[in-house]
Amino acid sequence: MKKDDVYVDFKPHQLVLYIEQDDESYGPLLTGSFMAKNYLDDYFEKIEKWEKSLREQLKKGEISPVYYYMILQEYGEGDLASRAGVSKRKLKQHFKMENFKKLKLTRLKKYAEAFDIPLASLFQLMISKPDESDKISIKQMETDNPYFIISKVELA
Amino acid sequence: MKEIDFEHKMAAHCESGTVTALLNHKGLDITEPMVFGISGNIFFGYFESSNFSFPTFIVRNKPGSIRKNFGKITGVKFHTKQFKSEEKGREYLNSLIDRNIPTATQVDFYYMDYLPEWQRVHINVHFVTVIGKNETKYLVSDSYFPEKATIAVNRMTKARFVNGFMAPKGFLFYPEYIPDNINLEKAIIKGIKKSAYNMVKLPVPFLGIKGMRKFAKKVTEWPKIARDIDHLSHEIMKITLLLEDQGTGGAGYRYLFATFLQQAAEKLNEPSFNDMSKRMMKIGDNWRNISYFAAKIGKNRDLGPERLKELSNMINDRADEEQVFFTDLYKFVE
Repeated sequence: MKKDDVYVDFKPHQLVLYIEQDDESYGPLLTGSFMAKNYLDDYFEKIEKWEKSLREQLKKGEISPVYYYMILQEYGEGDLASRAGVSKRKLKQHFKMENFKKLKLTRLKKYAEAFDIPLASLFQLMISKPDESDKISIKQMETDNPYFIISKVELA
Repeated sequence: MKEIDFEHKMAAHCESGTVTALLNHKGLDITEPMVFGISGNIFFGYFESSNFSFPTFIVRNKPGSIRKNFGKITGVKFHTKQFKSEEKGREYLNSLIDRNIPTATQVDFYYMDYLPEWQRVHINVHFVTVIGKNETKYLVSDSYFPEKATIAVNRMTKARFVNGFMAPKGFLFYPEYIPDNINLEKAIIKGIKKSAYNMVKLPVPFLGIKGMRKFAKKVTEWPKIARDIDHLSHEIMKITLLLEDQGTGGAGYRYLFATFLQQAAEKLNEPSFNDMSKRMMKIGDNWRNISYFAAKIGKNRDLGPERLKELSNMINDRADEEQVFFTDLYKFVE
């Protein structure tokens, strides 16, 4: 394809495509992402819907936080099991609250590391009203103690 | 911050971009399509594995094979190292930066905080080049980011030492020896032969053209395994991401391979490769039409059996085209 067929003006997400240039040689073109430019709203809408639906299940105790984060971060079960140091069979057991609640702190820490969240976030979700989300900032700061964080709530 | 004098350039793909940039830095004048083509990396594979959250496909050969195959074919020697200990891995990388050696390292893409959040997914086979550091940060050249970027030392260490599928174990590499006279002509022929062999002759039912046909068949069954219509839409639109946005140079590396063939025609003074290059560019355009189609039906949630059959037929058509193309290409170099 030629430049006019593929070029997208979208600075937040740039990539390199190879195209046919005016002299018929093929070469690189720095452009914006076609998908990000046109479909990001749809992507975020879907993620938001999943999050809300999973949160409801979590609130009712139908799923565990392990399942909640696994779906949202699109982990394959084999990959997540390996990162958490458990078998796939064990991982599936940990999708249920009745088994999750029996987990040792060290295992929970492994899950938290795989999800790149503080350990405390396996037990709570911090949310604000959508129209106020840009007015408040919550910073979760690690300390030297890997099992303890400080959450700092500030007016943005 | 200590910074090594290194030319940062975006590239189509992280591994071919990283290898090319390091070779250029060491004095070898070579392009990214040439590195990609010589290493025989054009590919197709359809996978149903618990390591992925949903069935998926790949359009290039195994991660790491660009460096490995390029080195094997051209005689370039890469220094490589993996580590059991995070601390040793961090210290070793730091010592290379102190010695002014730009060093590529394998990371979980998710931790590259400088990229937009929608781009970052957990995948352990991203490559960046570390080109500087201070007490708290590394300076990196990432093929997917327009500028040089900084990343906290603890984030980089985590990205290099996560567990999981294809865990990086701190893997790093840099070219340590480049032969004076690389026989590029011979290397190009070997790369083409490997590419064509992988596409049409590999006796594995989910790889090469066979993989494309499997993908065409299986995509019509995706509604059975998706959680709901939004999930199905997400996975169908990921087809476009995998073909266009995740470091392929467009059309699932087909444009990059077409460029390689055009450059090969000039190096070998072989006009027939120019014709093959044009054919591959056209095949790429047809893959790109699949990308547009998948994005459109995904967005509209227009994902009934007829529409997925249409998508399946488009993929099968690409398999037909590439079967003929790579068979012809193999005959040229046999």
